[in-house]
Amino acid sequence: MRPGIIKAVHNHMKKNKDSYFLTGDLGFSVLEELQKEFPTRVINMGVAEQNMIGVASGLALSGKKVFVYSIVPFVTMRCYEQIRNDICYHNLDVMIIGLGGGLSYGVLSATHFALEDFAIMRPLPHMNIFSPSDEMEAVLGMEALLNRQGPVYVRVGKKSEPTVYEKPFSFTFGKANIYSESKRDNIVIFATGPILSEVVKAIPLLEKQGIMPTVVDVHTVKPIDAKLIERISAGKTLAVSVEEHYRIGGFGSAVAEVLSQVVGSPRLLIIGTDDRFIKELGNHDYLRETFGLSASGLTDQIVKAFKKE
Amino acid sequence: MAIDNKLDAIAHQIRYEIIKMLVPLESHHIGCSLGIVEILTALYFEVMNIDPKNPEDINRDYFILSKGHAGASLYATLALRGFFDKKLLSQYDTNGGLLPEHASRVVSGVELSTGSLGHGLPVGLGLALSAKRDKRPNKVFVLMSDGELDEGSNWEAFLFASQHKLNNVIAIIDKNGLQGFGKTEEVISVEPIKEKLESFGWAVQEADGHDLQSLKKAMTEAQNSQSDKPNIIIAKTIKGRGIPFFEGKFESHYYSISEEKKAELLSSFNKKS
Repeated sequence: MRPGIIKAVHNHMKKNKDSYFLTGDLGFSVLEELQKEFPTRVINMGVAEQNMIGVASGLALSGKKVFVYSIVPFVTMRCYEQIRNDICYHNLDVMIIGLGGGLSYGVLSATHFALEDFAIMRPLPHMNIFSPSDEMEAVLGMEALLNRQGPVYVRVGKKSEPTVYEKPFSFTFGKANIYSESKRDNIVIFATGPILSEVVKAIPLLEKQGIMPTVVDVHTVKPIDAKLIERISAGKTLAVSVEEHYRIGGFGSAVAEVLSQVVGSPRLLIIGTDDRFIKELGNHDYLRETFGLSASGLTDQIVKAFKKE
Repeated sequence: MAIDNKLDAIAHQIRYEIIKMLVPLESHHIGCSLGIVEILTALYFEVMNIDPKNPEDINRDYFILSKGHAGASLYATLALRGFFDKKLLSQYDTNGGLLPEHASRVVSGVELSTGSLGHGLPVGLGLALSAKRDKRPNKVFVLMSDGELDEGSNWEAFLFASQHKLNNVIAIIDKNGLQGFGKTEEVISVEPIKEKLESFGWAVQEADGHDLQSLKKAMTEAQNSQSDKPNIIIAKTIKGRGIPFFEGKFESHYYSISEEKKAELLSSFNKKS
């Protein structure tokens, strides 16, 4: 989805002279064209993320729209207070583009994983969070976001995520998309990000076991679509949230915050990673397999929980 | 020392407003607020291109108080410069009031809400970069403390500013030699600060932070500089300046004035103004 996002930024910068793109010394084979076309507005800030967020805030204070770009931990955690005080407290028009959502950096291992980002971005007032599942959705989301102002965090995968959407659909930021609805559904699965492709693969596996899921793609983690979550969970035997993030504080917690307010809502199974650093080494698929986040792993976890109900 | 009577009187008035705001409330950060009064006086009443009637003017000079804990000093200065009614100062640090202890953008003239150290300079560089690219004349003044230089973000910013030739930035270091829990020299020494900053590619000047002429001279020189280097003025100051028993005292960062001294202080300032 990275090419689609950069292309959307490129088109925006072409039309809007008051836009800047700051990178934390990353972009090899991805940003060259952008840099060539806008040499004064695309700035390599060096490996200095605190200063990058500060400079982005100063530019935005003077009326510019600013994109900042780096790997998730570097562009969210290293400079978290700058995001809170400079961007969010001042409600500035800065889009943080974070690469490598979840476990997608694979063998680069723990320092490069993004398993806490939802948890730290969600509580920030004014912050919006977009977590696309594939290229198509990333492009649709960017179109919507580029017409808005204010802080937004875009959690991007690494590269070549499996296609979830073959065709464009009606995308509204802040409104979850019902990916597939089963008429005889007894559970609902809420998923966010590229892991939706594993959830989609799990549908027939679940159906074989008599579990009929309705699958909802929650591309906007903040503001979360509470209305849809509440409506669609009603009467289900089980609700499930799926994300590549620690189970603590992330997307599942956001869904739980909604359902905990609803009388008679179903139990929520939060699927994510365990509360420990990941020492196992392997590529993205291997890690998903290892942590029960592949289609079969998800199926096993859901079947087990369903049987308890 | 040359004395500019008009500016001197303004500085005295700002000090009085600070004492009126902070002392009855027993607020912290008295020393830090008093120590930068001349710097703010020179900037707001002499050096900066600002118009209280048009505070959002696209071509204005910017001022960022990176040491946001001295908010009282900035509020008093802005009020006296006409950015807002002086009556608002009574809402400092009060329940349901408007002016928090750390500088806040809630009032006209405060460009950036601050309070955590090491934020002002990077944001200032963003403003300066924007002005440069748009060929606007804005100068960006950022006031930092010497203790604040412990923060690594400033050093990222020092590197960036000289790399991008942001000569429209004029940083000022309020060098009082004290920080939150000790003497700067003993906690983390920044010396030799002049040489350090020069080696980072900045044009460095030194000034007496309580001498309005000395400050004006350094600021004007930085404003008119033809060099492509970013500018920094190391202003030697005395924390707590204006309250003799507080001057140069680390305790003046916090509140430590006895009841008798409190009354004496308020009345002595009153008489002088």
